[in-house]
Amino acid sequence: MNYQQATWTRETDTGEPVNEPLLSEKRTQTVTYDDVDLPDELVRDELTLPEPAEPEVARHYTRLSQMNYSVEHGPYPLGSCTMKYNPKFIEDVAALEDGAIHPDRPDEYAQGTLGILHGLQEYLAEIGGMETATLQPPAGAAGEFTGLLVARAYHQSNDEDDQRREVIVPASAHGTNFASAAMAGYDVVELPSDEDGRVPVDALEEAVGDSTAALMLTNPNTLGLFERDIADIADIVHDAGGLLYYDGANLNALLGRARPGDMGFDIMHYNVHKTFASPHGGGGPGAGPIGVVDELTEFLPDPHVRETEDGSFELYEPAESIGKVHGFYGNWLVLLKTYAYISRLGDGGLKDTSAMAVLNANYLASQIDLDITYGPFHHEFVASAGDVDAAEFAKGMLDEGVHPPTTKWPEIVDEALMTEPTEALSKEQLDVLAAAFTATNRKTSDELADAPTTTAAARIDQTSAARNPRLSWQDVGENDE
Amino acid sequence: MQRIQHDGTDHPHELDESSPFAPQTPQEVDAMLSAISADSVEELFDVPEAVAFHGDFDIEAKSEYEVVTEIEELLGQNADRTEFLGRGHYDHYVPSVVDYLSLRSEFLTSYTQYQPETSQGFLQALFEFQSMIVELTGLDVANCSMYDAATALGEAALLAARVRETSGSRVLVPETIRSERHSVLENYADGAELTVETYPLAEGNTDVGALSELIDEDVVMVYAESPTARGAIEERLSAVATLADDHEAAFCLGSDPVALALLKEPAAVGADIVIGDASVLGLSASHGMGLGLFAVKDGYLRQVPGRLVGTSETAEGRRAYTLTLQTREQHIRKERATSNICTNQAWVALRTAIHIATLGASGLAALAEDCVATASEAAARLDAVEGVTAPVDDRHHFREFVARTERPASEVASELADRGFLVHEVGEFEVQICVTETNSDDVDGLVAAVQEVLE
Amino acid sequence: MTHETPDDLLYTDSHEWIDDREDTLRIGITDFAQDELGDVVFVELPSEGDSLESGAACAVVESIKAVSDIYTPVSGTVTATNEAILDQPELLNTDPYGDGWLFEIDGQVPDDALDADDYCEQIE
Ligand SMILES: Cc1ncc(COP(=O)(O)O)c(C=O)c1O
Repeated sequence: MNYQQATWTRETDTGEPVNEPLLSEKRTQTVTYDDVDLPDELVRDELTLPEPAEPEVARHYTRLSQMNYSVEHGPYPLGSCTMKYNPKFIEDVAALEDGAIHPDRPDEYAQGTLGILHGLQEYLAEIGGMETATLQPPAGAAGEFTGLLVARAYHQSNDEDDQRREVIVPASAHGTNFASAAMAGYDVVELPSDEDGRVPVDALEEAVGDSTAALMLTNPNTLGLFERDIADIADIVHDAGGLLYYDGANLNALLGRARPGDMGFDIMHYNVHKTFASPHGGGGPGAGPIGVVDELTEFLPDPHVRETEDGSFELYEPAESIGKVHGFYGNWLVLLKTYAYISRLGDGGLKDTSAMAVLNANYLASQIDLDITYGPFHHEFVASAGDVDAAEFAKGMLDEGVHPPTTKWPEIVDEALMTEPTEALSKEQLDVLAAAFTATNRKTSDELADAPTTTAAARIDQTSAARNPRLSWQDVGENDE
Repeated sequence: MQRIQHDGTDHPHELDESSPFAPQTPQEVDAMLSAISADSVEELFDVPEAVAFHGDFDIEAKSEYEVVTEIEELLGQNADRTEFLGRGHYDHYVPSVVDYLSLRSEFLTSYTQYQPETSQGFLQALFEFQSMIVELTGLDVANCSMYDAATALGEAALLAARVRETSGSRVLVPETIRSERHSVLENYADGAELTVETYPLAEGNTDVGALSELIDEDVVMVYAESPTARGAIEERLSAVATLADDHEAAFCLGSDPVALALLKEPAAVGADIVIGDASVLGLSASHGMGLGLFAVKDGYLRQVPGRLVGTSETAEGRRAYTLTLQTREQHIRKERATSNICTNQAWVALRTAIHIATLGASGLAALAEDCVATASEAAARLDAVEGVTAPVDDRHHFREFVARTERPASEVASELADRGFLVHEVGEFEVQICVTETNSDDVDGLVAAVQEVLE
Repeated sequence: MTHETPDDLLYTDSHEWIDDREDTLRIGITDFAQDELGDVVFVELPSEGDSLESGAACAVVESIKAVSDIYTPVSGTVTATNEAILDQPELLNTDPYGDGWLFEIDGQVPDDALDADDYCEQIE
């Protein structure tokens, strides 16, 4: 592939070569406040900010955009992140004027918004096999945190909170699982993977007990493997009095084919920005609704939406609510996009999504020449870069005009390349991606060390960025050591 | 697996069993299956029968046209009312250029910049966002987003507890804080065994005497807001800062970028941390979706939650941007990370930055000055109505203020709603009114309606 | 890749070295450890006067992609810390047994300390 990302290299006034100057290196303005109707001591002395005219704003950000690889450029197979195509119409839906309302409107004046939130609660509950879902958590990690607060409230209601202080997390889990458990006040017990890459049932049996609050599990797990023993795992955790938490990051693999609720999970989060195509926005916003089984609905965050007898919708506080996890109702615009996407796909489209995601991953894996130890995998696989540093391999792939996979995780695979093509790549694009793997695999270590050469920036010195942090334009040009 | 061939059209009512966003043709599916020696896609699922799902969700697929129409209809059920609502979520006009640029798919459909070489554009935009927040707060470091103001406040309390040399267990917040924000803070604080207590206000500002009675060595953080949730500009921040400092507690200030463009910089009044909702610029009313602002003084750098973008150089010596100090984060430090946050509000931060750039220093300062002027004008006009006292608090106000009504607030609010205007009911005889450039033309109507209601 | 392992030092399983300087023990991380970590970008040290139990995490060494706790192999009181590495964490990479030392502690050399040969065997 012949690829070249755009740049507009030039020198700043101080002679520093840059791709595009900072806004602060263009026109700035300092304002002072002479005739504000406030006492001087309450008012700033001055404010200095860029002051570009609108055409300059447009050029600046258009140039920046062109120095940014995205799903619409080509394959973006970041494992676990589910970088699928984001349909355009959901943006138009999100832009509808009637949806732009204040969160403090009384229910009767927000019936449209509440109706959609209620509809999404029901969609998600159905898709996850749960009783209902709260839409408040603003991302997957926030969903984990919320779910664990729900678990904690449940144990409190049984007078067992003092004793159930541990959350069990498989070693291959996402970092947020560990961090969320800690934030919820739990001790984390790490469970190593079995040789076949799954949860070792024996070791789990040893690990659970009176102190277990919950087990957090991703299924398919981060190797793409279905936890075949899930029914036994659920029994073990439930028999010990713990709850089973489902990390929904990989739900794209199972849409319409298996539901966490049916597998025995009590609490789950949905990463709607993964599974349901709301765009990732350069790092967010997403949304991380959580679904719960019947016994846990009373602990859900305040408020929840319900339908009244006359068919209208109202907010209410669940009887033993944990309180709030977001200042208002979560990331409304993302939730609205999710609702639109699910409505568009319907049962057939959702089932087709998982089918094509899994087919794509299997086909892609068959076309690349790297070791893939663990299987059968579903929507993603973890290949090994072998003797090559996976991070270096990724830099090499950039020059093939594709985004590389997630690297070096899960750690159970040496030099892991965690690859998730999603359903949204055609066979032709999968072939392009496979060719990128192949071409990279042929590169010498010197070639990899020099990569990338086709991106707006060549290899970036991470070490000096961390040793000498310069985190704002106020620091640029200063403390250069 | 049956896949029905698309005919390239997408008429309403013509539905099929395949996802319109999965591009494989039936021929391709066959070719792919044969490449992996499988007979069907079903065979690829390693799901034990006992937990397999063969049912239906009963979600009917719709055409794009049908979905858009359905949602238009549903949202149309949001009653048409003029909102004079604020209290932490504000509707400022967002220039068109913000939409057009932020919706460019290069920005919208990318993810976290794990590969900085191919993500320079977004990184630079986030770096510029951080820099704008640094300028507005006067503090040294800003991250490139938390979810919203409430969760940012929760993170601030956790940070404050971590940076303290000696342990402590109390967080003090103003009694006027929104109950929702208070509740989120409690949930964050609980896991770290911190308790949240409120301190009183007098005449709309911190009761410094009462605060000094409450504070002790066990307090890890004192939080204040300016403007307060009731719209008053806080005049006693320096005194609060001194009290906090005397007890080795961090002082966290809640504000927003418009207010910060006019009010004394937090750093100058002694704030150690600033949190708030930065989406007051960049997002119009969006049912409470926000952008958590988070800035701290230099000494707290290693304890900052969330993503940080820094500059560095490329191999050829060109300036470049990259996520940095990632060892603080969950993907490396796991349960000892400074936060669990991963997906954040980056795209909203982009929008906020574009909005700030478009306004420029002059436009932003003018907007902030208007927030003082319109609030005081509207208050004066309502005060002139018989049966209304406005503002209740004898303070300077920003965007919003509380008015006392002779009739019960619930009746006033609901009768105003009947006349097309929504205001907050914040006390038995108190309503709160927020004015920005998007509703200032309707103040005449509101004043007339208030007159009718109180006659 | 071979790593330097001076004969006159003692070592721990967790890749610290101990230099017995009679009146005090100097502690650092081994060449192997710094190589595994990669470019060190940040170091956190104990404070002088801290009294530590053997095995306690008392310092942190960070590279870009990894964080490593340093466990004191010795119980005792910290008598000195190497302030220079706070500003120049790269010293841990360039001179792990010299200018890249971490801290000094007064205490007894532990019985289970490894000699250079044993440590080499362990990291092979
Ligand atoms: C397996 C897994 N769990 C949890 C998360 C956290 O979700 P979020 O980034 O939405 O907070 C992610 C993704 O980032 C993930 O891949």
